[in-house]
Amino acid sequence: MSRSNKKWFSLNLSRKQNDDSGTCGCGKTSGGCGSHSNDAEMSEEEFYHAAVNASIGDEREKDGFDQVFDVKMDRRTAFRKLAASLLIGAGAVNTSCSMLSSDESKEKAQIDWEEQFKGNYKLMTDDEKKNTVDRLVRSYQLRTGKTISMSSKNAEEDVLFGYAFNISKCQGYMDCVSACVKENNQDRNSQMQYIRIHEMKDGEGLKFDEADDNYYHEVPAEGHFYLGTQCFHCDNPPCVEVCPVQATWREDDGLVVVDYDWCVGCRYCMAACPYDGRRFNWSKPEVPEEEVNHNQHYLGNRMRKKGVMEKCTFCVQRSREGKNPACVEACPTGARIFGNLLDPNSTIRWVLENKKVFRLKEDLGTEPKFWYFMD
Amino acid sequence: MKQLKVFRSLVKDSFDVVTHGTVKYHIWMGFLTFMMLVGMYCYSIQLNEGLSVTGMTDRVSWGLYISNFTFLVGVAAAAVMLVMPTYVLHDVDFKQAVLIGEGLAVAALIMCLAFVIADMGGPSVLWHMIPGLGVFNFPNSMLTWDVIVLNGYLFLNITIPFYILFRHYQGKEAKSKVYVPGAILSVFWAVGIHLVTAFLYQGLQARPFWNNALLGPRFLASAFAAGPALIILVLAIIRNFTAFKIEDKTLKKIAMVVTVAAQINLIMLISELFKEFYAPTHHSESAYYLFFGLHGKDALLPWIWTAIPLNVLATVLLTFHKLRNNPKILYFSCFILFVAIWIEKGFGLIVPGFIPGPYGKIAEYTPTGVEIGVTLGIWALGAFVFTVLAKTAIGIELGELRFKNNKN
Amino acid sequence: MMSSSLFVNRSLCLIVFCMVFFSCKHEDKYHGVMEKIEAEGEHYQGVSLSSENYLEGVDTILISEGGHTFLIPERKNQIKLYACTECHSKPLAEMQEGDIKKAHWDIKIVHANEKAMNCVTCHNPSNMDELRSVTGMSIDFDNSYNLCSQCHSKQFEDWKGGAHGKRIGGWAPPRASMTCVNCHNPHQPHFESRWPARFNTQKVKERE
Repeated sequence: MSRSNKKWFSLNLSRKQNDDSGTCGCGKTSGGCGSHSNDAEMSEEEFYHAAVNASIGDEREKDGFDQVFDVKMDRRTAFRKLAASLLIGAGAVNTSCSMLSSDESKEKAQIDWEEQFKGNYKLMTDDEKKNTVDRLVRSYQLRTGKTISMSSKNAEEDVLFGYAFNISKCQGYMDCVSACVKENNQDRNSQMQYIRIHEMKDGEGLKFDEADDNYYHEVPAEGHFYLGTQCFHCDNPPCVEVCPVQATWREDDGLVVVDYDWCVGCRYCMAACPYDGRRFNWSKPEVPEEEVNHNQHYLGNRMRKKGVMEKCTFCVQRSREGKNPACVEACPTGARIFGNLLDPNSTIRWVLENKKVFRLKEDLGTEPKFWYFMD
Repeated sequence: MKQLKVFRSLVKDSFDVVTHGTVKYHIWMGFLTFMMLVGMYCYSIQLNEGLSVTGMTDRVSWGLYISNFTFLVGVAAAAVMLVMPTYVLHDVDFKQAVLIGEGLAVAALIMCLAFVIADMGGPSVLWHMIPGLGVFNFPNSMLTWDVIVLNGYLFLNITIPFYILFRHYQGKEAKSKVYVPGAILSVFWAVGIHLVTAFLYQGLQARPFWNNALLGPRFLASAFAAGPALIILVLAIIRNFTAFKIEDKTLKKIAMVVTVAAQINLIMLISELFKEFYAPTHHSESAYYLFFGLHGKDALLPWIWTAIPLNVLATVLLTFHKLRNNPKILYFSCFILFVAIWIEKGFGLIVPGFIPGPYGKIAEYTPTGVEIGVTLGIWALGAFVFTVLAKTAIGIELGELRFKNNKN
Repeated sequence: MMSSSLFVNRSLCLIVFCMVFFSCKHEDKYHGVMEKIEAEGEHYQGVSLSSENYLEGVDTILISEGGHTFLIPERKNQIKLYACTECHSKPLAEMQEGDIKKAHWDIKIVHANEKAMNCVTCHNPSNMDELRSVTGMSIDFDNSYNLCSQCHSKQFEDWKGGAHGKRIGGWAPPRASMTCVNCHNPHQPHFESRWPARFNTQKVKERE
């Protein structure tokens, strides 16, 4: 096996020989894959070991399934065998096609392979996070020729993000919506938007069912007020609770994020969210290349794929750098206030302590970190 | 080694049995194969394009697939209504039916798993859900409970009948010491799979239509009505087309089970309707949508108003001994009961959970052709699996299939 | 029969036990987010992030009002024709006489009504480089919020605390906030109605 300091399986496609095992990249034991073939057929046991090695590599650090069970080498059991064959089987199609092609496509195939079988971001060490981010940046470069910057910055100490929305101020201009779409590289085809602005009639209270969240007329409309909703980054988020694979979780700074590469697309979180805060990529998301925001974060606005969940992250790529989310920055009326709830001198704290604030559906016990108030 | 040889011979023999049959049988299997191919084609479209080819949207994010999944979990669980009397209470009448029931459970479970996979956005990363390989969010996520109980139940329902058939295949009596503990476990397990599946929905505070303590019990009641109703129909067909003897007494007993379950189901339905409509709150809107439509949106009306009268009619017909004892009426009522519960627990349960949405928005759901194609394909898969299992089992039970130790 | 019922009982107990055991899923030690904020914010050390980088190119001045100390953008260097006395060398009455072309002809006052407000309610006719309060005290253009706060005291309170207005830079300290005139045109402070912005390739195309 490769002795390089990687913990995922490297295909070694561009290197001359596989020095340990007789497997070729696609994992077939006899006949070889694509162009090159193995002379000797391996016995079942040899194949088993090769496959195991292939799938887990030499490194014994935590990644993928090790993250959970942290098993030692000697506890190799049936599931590991299953793992190996599964990995190899799935990767076979992918890689066998690229045996003859250029170095670049080999590299691409290798990145795809490593990405397919990486672990859950939530459980990665900082090095692993950096590695996957590097791979993604490189992959984007290979695909489009453009360079992006992608961050894997962790939550800051002593930070808990909170958000307040001034119902009296919002005029329904929707600058926030458009800034959000631009900032977060949302799919243009399905017109995905994280934020919805509800136009409500004065004097009827918060009647969401009669509100219009898809208006297009001059605003503010006579006799109406506006209220925006998005993911509220609940402190007790039901969506996180129900995810079968922990592909979504609450970070230490309170952001509820999704690992797009770990999500299996069951949409249980969508059913569990009482606030319509989650969006699904029903088809491959598309953003015109010239409109792509190249300043990205792994948990934030990096390009998504089809069949995964996504949501507002309070613009993690911005907020973890000290900036305000794009919606806050874009709002021309100052209806949106964002800040650190743990900082006693922050403006968000002043709002919570001095204004009459409320949250939506507080009775559900979700503890949103998104408050509404009026002048 | 000997066991392996017997097993190999069993597989070979059962392959022979399932590939030979009457013309009608071949037409049936050919039809199922065709439907499965159609389903696979539709699924390949879905894999290529993404789930956007289905009728599901961000507003209604679960549809036909999950509806069928929910219903079929009930069908699978219903096998317990035959297992308990047979293995635990030693009721001989059920003996012939029980293997068929368990075969049905296996087929239903395979369909369940297929529906779940069809509903996934990323089937290629499904290994994230395998405990040990991926990250299994147990016990927090009810979906992980469901994965465990469904697969466990599948295992139980494959091993128990397999053991019995395997023994019979060799001309030996199955040892009750071996399979009775498994059978008892499967009784609990069956209740478990259906309760857990109900909890999947019941535990969501975001969806008041589901977040309702009656959901679990009602799941059970409707399952124990629809499942055995299907078993009656299947047994009737088997009785007609094969030499397998199923006595009237057996059918009558199962019919009794169906009747009681349907009655309980109806009582719970009334209780639910009373709660929703006597003092309607904001949370009753989904029920309003389902039964009367909201703001002119009424896509589910024809469905639910088919289901409710059929349900009531079937329950009334079954309640009268005279009617129930007439096979024709029995089959008819079982059929309409099955259809009614399929609508009620599929479409009628899943879709209104999303309508109106969390903020009262009403976006209706209509399945697309691709979705229906995949669904039919999966049903055909289930029917195919069941036919193969049943044909083998019947062959063994009739003594046509026996291990011949002729090589030595 | 005996043994099987025992088995049933035992497994039932086991199931109930498991259910109880696993249902304690809330590992969080707080009952609500406010409690969490209170507890975790008690020993707040400050954050390593800073908004300073995002304030580059904006000239700011530090103000301290009612216990709140924060930055606001400088105003005078943003006014094109400051200092005003470069033109306003004579008293107003004299400047309005004669045939000189009108300056400020495009300014319309849509702020309160004519009885309450005219130019000299805020501008100091005897020193055009300064503003003046209703009591005749002079107010610097950079601190024009003092002028607004005479009437809009409620908004002033909110602004000081951070509930009214907008931040410049980011959320991280130091706090820099826009002042009244950065958003409101003092002569027509009301926000105009307009069409909602919608960035969406497809919708835009459809509309065209």
